[in-house]
Amino acid sequence: MSLLELRDLSVHYRGARGEVAAVRSVSLGLEAGQTLGLAGESGCGKSTVAMSVLRLLPRNARVEGQVLLDGEDVQGMSWGRLRTVRWAAASVVFQGAMHALNPVHRVGDQIAEPMRLHGVSGSVSDLLGQVELPARAARAYPHELSGGQKQRVMIAMALACAPRLVIADEPTTALDVVVQAQVLDVLKRLVSERGIGLVMISHDLSVLASTCDRLAVMRYGQIVEEGPAREVIASPTHPHTQALAAAFPTVGDPASRQVTAEDAADGPVLLRAEGVRVDYGATKAVAGVDLEVRAGEIVALVGQSGSGKTTLARTLLGLQRPTAGRVLFEGTELPRSSSGLRAYRRQVQLVLQDPTSALNPRHSVYEAVAEGLRIHRIEGDEPTLVAEALSHAELRPPELFFPSLPHELSGGQRQRVVIAGALALGPRLLIADEPVASLDASVRGEILALLLRLRRELGLAALVITHDLGLAWTIADRVAVMYQGELVEQGTVEQVLLSPRHDYTRTLLAAVPQDQRSTRPNWTSSP
Amino acid sequence: MIRHLAGKVGGALVSLLFVVALGFLLFRVIPGDPVVAMTRGRPVTGDQLAELRVRLGVDKPLGEQFVDYLSGMVRGDLGTSHVYSRPVLELIGERLWPTVLLVGTSTVLAVVLGLWLGIRGAWRRGSRSDRISTGLALAQWAMPTFWLGMLLSLATGDLFPSGGMRYPDTPPDFLSQALDVAHHMVLPCLTLIAVVYAQYLLVMRSSLLEEMHADYLTTARAKGLRDDLVRRRHAVPNALLPTVTLVFLHLGLVVSGAITVETVFSWPGLGLLTYEALTGPDLPLLQGTFVVLAGAVITMNVFADLLYRVLDPRVRAS
Repeated sequence: MSLLELRDLSVHYRGARGEVAAVRSVSLGLEAGQTLGLAGESGCGKSTVAMSVLRLLPRNARVEGQVLLDGEDVQGMSWGRLRTVRWAAASVVFQGAMHALNPVHRVGDQIAEPMRLHGVSGSVSDLLGQVELPARAARAYPHELSGGQKQRVMIAMALACAPRLVIADEPTTALDVVVQAQVLDVLKRLVSERGIGLVMISHDLSVLASTCDRLAVMRYGQIVEEGPAREVIASPTHPHTQALAAAFPTVGDPASRQVTAEDAADGPVLLRAEGVRVDYGATKAVAGVDLEVRAGEIVALVGQSGSGKTTLARTLLGLQRPTAGRVLFEGTELPRSSSGLRAYRRQVQLVLQDPTSALNPRHSVYEAVAEGLRIHRIEGDEPTLVAEALSHAELRPPELFFPSLPHELSGGQRQRVVIAGALALGPRLLIADEPVASLDASVRGEILALLLRLRRELGLAALVITHDLGLAWTIADRVAVMYQGELVEQGTVEQVLLSPRHDYTRTLLAAVPQDQRSTRPNWTSSP
Repeated sequence: MIRHLAGKVGGALVSLLFVVALGFLLFRVIPGDPVVAMTRGRPVTGDQLAELRVRLGVDKPLGEQFVDYLSGMVRGDLGTSHVYSRPVLELIGERLWPTVLLVGTSTVLAVVLGLWLGIRGAWRRGSRSDRISTGLALAQWAMPTFWLGMLLSLATGDLFPSGGMRYPDTPPDFLSQALDVAHHMVLPCLTLIAVVYAQYLLVMRSSLLEEMHADYLTTARAKGLRDDLVRRRHAVPNALLPTVTLVFLHLGLVVSGAITVETVFSWPGLGLLTYEALTGPDLPLLQGTFVVLAGAVITMNVFADLLYRVLDPRVRAS
């Protein structure tokens, strides 16, 4: 008997506009000691599948088919029986540990809560030990822990009642590569040591490839491809699987590198940081950085969260004054007056990570793009300029998008609006902070291609800040690696990513989930 | 922590000083000459008026009056009432307790009622009982207080006394006195509760509704907690946080919040005193009540701030 079996599961949500099918006849099985991966983009129904296992769906959901947990149908359980099964037989590591933990309870109490509830003996510090956290972490509140630590607390909490099935919903999204690798290791070890069954849900095929035995790819509520993880990744048959796989390029794979030799930028230096240092009190956020971006060049600034990347970007934009050192744009130091800085920011524009929060939800696309034009009092016909910027960002025909509000657009379209807003001012350089991190896999590629095209057509240079080495490999000319406020290594993409010299760069590369397509050389033995 | 406390208290003292200055100036610009008001209906000569001005100290330049007022306040002297010819502090002290009793009682009851209905409403959002209770609360909130008060006393007839705080012929033992005061308090108390509980209901309801979509409630449900435990242990404590500020702000207003109700039911509290001072205008008394009322709001604000730090670990850290 399987640990978990879904038989012909369908879920519909009743809404104002009738019923919407979220999951359509999904059948899956999982044995103890195995890991099943569920891949797909946002809205494909993978989280709905996860929630239906413990009957956690909202009230407007209508479920058909069977969910068998150890042979018992979850749909038919009484409330009392369901409460006994919840967490004791199967538990969930929720997406976004930031919000899945109660902010005003100590994490130790939150871990202990299901143990008291189900009358399970055990110690919180043992559980914390299993996820490699010190016992004193139990006394912390969620906001006092880092993202990776919170995710470990979630895992410890999921293990509290020694369940046989754990469902992990995007357990590593929003974590940077190094922490992601650590969390994945913890999960893998628990599966092999305790013989639990694990369902891993992710939009990132490389994460699933490195952890799962079997893999199912979902789209529009249906499973489009299923099989042993190795086979699905190595030779995907369905076009959607292929698209997902391509969206997470492997470092070192020539097929995923989109920069060609003729793109080589040898223009004059546009932006130069000289010995830039930023101290926040006693903390050195940026500790003496020299960096150059040439005209028409794409530079990737990589590093873990907390490495000082964002502070450096703020300094380059003139939003933060350096404690020491200077920033030069075309050979002249950044002005200090606010009017001078405003003129400077026409040349250098910022694109943020999350387009949803970067756009005012009550401003139309037209307003969002025209705002910059008005602030900088740019001459010319406003509608024409806005239309031009939108079509540069590949929102065509632009007039069609003028009255749209952000919530009517897809994530990719929203990011294009943000980029159009930057392009309207005719900047020479874009500083993009994780420009695709919040976007779906299939959209990432499009936005990256857009950045490359803008460089080719408008000669637009870009400084792309990211923790994603695959992204750097896809579009960058040069890479600068930042670690604890310093640039530990910089050079061309091939130099840095294929033959890294600094230990930290090697650590970063080793932390990238490995799958079977990799043609990457083995760095540990490199000279 | 101590530094934070010192900062808060310092800030509060600065606001209080502003209030004192503002109160002083404000009551000098409102129309009405206190000396004329005091002697209204009596034949007085110009000399007598001038002499009265000197005695009350309103003949001096404004700056000098303010300095006198400030130095008096430091010594604990809020001046002497023109109308009652008694120290303002003594008058306020006499009237403070009836107000605290009336408004304190009704605020506590209104908070309890409002929070309870708010929690129920949010948990069964859109149900009949939610719609009815929210609608009713809003309607009562929108009613003019004095009108509701008069309506209530008309509707209840002779059941409850509609004015004053006690009958003169009540036996002097504690129990009969307390019962008598309670009996007198029913109508003003009901009026006050009816008018204010809607605010607590609405704030609690919306803040709980916001929390109800929080992911940690799904976590709690997945752990196997019963629905009422999810609500009691996880949802309500978080949703209560914004309400704490509101409740404390209102506790500050407790002292002043009853001007209309006290006037309608001639309850001998600070509100009625303020009303009487206004008709004068009795400047020292007005300034005195103004400072006490504002001081109460400022003090309660500081308390709310400190309590919030105790309740919410996230605020403590920053």
